[in-house]
Amino acid sequence: MSSSELLQFLISGLQNGAVYALVGLGFTLVYASTGIINFAQGEFFMLGGMLAVAGVRMGLPLPLSILAAVLLSAGVGVAMERFALRPRRDSGALVLIIITIGASMVLKSLARHIFGPNEMALPAFTPGPPVLLLGAAIDRQVLWIWGLTIVAVVGLTLLYTKTKLGRAMRASSLSHDAARLMGIDTAGVVMISFGLAAALGALGGAAVAPLTQTAFDVGARAGLKGFAAAILGGLGNPIAAVVGGLVLGVLESLSVAFISSTYKDAISLVLLLAVLFLRPQGLLGKSGREKV
Amino acid sequence: MKTRRRVVAAALVAMLMVTTVAGCSSKGSSGSATGEGSAEPYRIGAIVSLSGSYAGLGTPEQKAIEMEMKRINDAGGINGRQVEVIFEDDATDPAKAQAAVARLLEQENVIAVIGATGTSQTMALRDDIDRAGVPQVSMAGGSVITAEFDKNVFQTPWPNRIVVPFTLKALKDRGLVNVAVISDTGGYGKDGHDLILKDADTAGVKIVADETFNPGDTDMTAQLTKIKAASPDVVLMWNAGKEAAIVAKNIKQLGMSVPLVGSPGNGRREFIEGAGDAAEGFRFAAGKILVPEAYGEGTPAFEVAQKFIADYSFAYGVAPDIFAGHAFDAFLVVTDALKRVEGEATPASLRDAIEATDGLVGVGGTFAYSPEDHNGLTEEELVFYRVDGATWVLDK
Repeated sequence: MSSSELLQFLISGLQNGAVYALVGLGFTLVYASTGIINFAQGEFFMLGGMLAVAGVRMGLPLPLSILAAVLLSAGVGVAMERFALRPRRDSGALVLIIITIGASMVLKSLARHIFGPNEMALPAFTPGPPVLLLGAAIDRQVLWIWGLTIVAVVGLTLLYTKTKLGRAMRASSLSHDAARLMGIDTAGVVMISFGLAAALGALGGAAVAPLTQTAFDVGARAGLKGFAAAILGGLGNPIAAVVGGLVLGVLESLSVAFISSTYKDAISLVLLLAVLFLRPQGLLGKSGREKV
Repeated sequence: MKTRRRVVAAALVAMLMVTTVAGCSSKGSSGSATGEGSAEPYRIGAIVSLSGSYAGLGTPEQKAIEMEMKRINDAGGINGRQVEVIFEDDATDPAKAQAAVARLLEQENVIAVIGATGTSQTMALRDDIDRAGVPQVSMAGGSVITAEFDKNVFQTPWPNRIVVPFTLKALKDRGLVNVAVISDTGGYGKDGHDLILKDADTAGVKIVADETFNPGDTDMTAQLTKIKAASPDVVLMWNAGKEAAIVAKNIKQLGMSVPLVGSPGNGRREFIEGAGDAAEGFRFAAGKILVPEAYGEGTPAFEVAQKFIADYSFAYGVAPDIFAGHAFDAFLVVTDALKRVEGEATPASLRDAIEATDGLVGVGGTFAYSPEDHNGLTEEELVFYRVDGATWVLDK
């Protein structure tokens, strides 16, 4: 295998991995502030792509329809937290998780009825021939995906470490009750984290749509991969979700390269299980033991 | 931290539930006002994929059947009785297709089943169909459907065992002998893939690469990088889902200049829209419905196809694709046989009447079933298409 081919496999893996990472970031954000897994996360990925396409079809310029899609999806995320989850917030994690599954089915069915069953295409952000790097080709849209992933992770890290809101989010994740006693509006923090997670998922969905098209049913698969990325990296930490996503993407593409395309999903799943067996807290997760 | 582990475990269980339950079943039963006569309507079941990977195929199928049902009922029905089609969504899932057929047979007492949209879903119905002895007309193109012969099962599309040799011969005729295969792991893709490998020697082509992808995959550059390294003359893709457009775009992205050839499953407008520039020059074999002039103007087949295209375009505002055509044919096969049944129509007498179909002109070809052949189409019905200027033209 020549070095340019190997590079192409790596690029392909990093391309898919960045998408997994964007979805995984949403899982991680919600987990950090609430301790639950939001299974509607994949549906925000779907909403981002579908709403952007709908905007373009209505005649909006591309950047505006992407912005509108991201904001609308964030609104849906906030509404879901406020009206579906908050009324039952004392019911325990399992009930809340099941509510998110219900929400994902509702969103998917609504999208099926509003947008129809067919796949739809979104124009490329910056059309043009692929960029060549040492004999390997990179689609321009992939550069956008990488760029947006970097912006998202840097932005989130700054938010967590430098802002008051970020400190409030971290405090809430350590202990809701203590945070509330310190005067933090924990309900508001949870709502904001749902909105942010939805916005990130939607951004990923809109960024991928020019490459892959989008449809009402892309959410489940995106959610599965994003969840795997978040678990692999270690839940609750943005950098870990990104690392998990990239590792998962590269593993898949290398299993195509060296083993077989038929088993690529199985191979990456087995490796995921192996990692979790050896390091249940994920690659970058902190040890699960709490100090008393 | 115990709670965290429990949350993750619960989450994993929940994920399983999402993937298995997600394709919510939407039952759309389209009854008809039984104005004429007091006789019970003929009840026909139809299993189509209205969600999942084949949603884009099953939806036009349902539309075509609804349109024809309305036309027949408005004209007084068949033998003075109305026709009622009960639709079930299988969500592109064989297990759901099987549940749907059980419901249609046991609760709705249908006299025939049209479906399913996909090959795996079609095969999943077989046990129930045989137990009930009800005729089934499939709209899927896998060869296995009629190659694994069953006296109750018929098929309207051109099966892979006709299309694959036709396609390989066309490649050989164009001097494209080093063939790289990329297919999906669904029923239709796998069926085509196995036939390509089996027929390659006979056709005189050489398979230089053999890659697969899963339905739902969003990037095939890794597989195509391997194919590129094998330097083929042509890439032959076999699938029917939306992933086809991604393969076409990835080929362009990798700067590969080899032509891409596909299957009848790619004869969808969404493929051209999704692949954009990358669809230009894409070739595939299919029946003549996309360009009915191929039948020769004035021939009965041309008239039938023209009328179908005009009716469908009028009713839904878009031209029908090949899947709408398969559904039209399936419904035509059943209703034509119902007209010919002597005495009271039962599943058994209807099955015999379908098997006796001879020279029935549909939009996908002229059907002639026999006790040995339940597909009834030949290579004669196929032509080669090329995408040119975002539409299909005949590739001579």
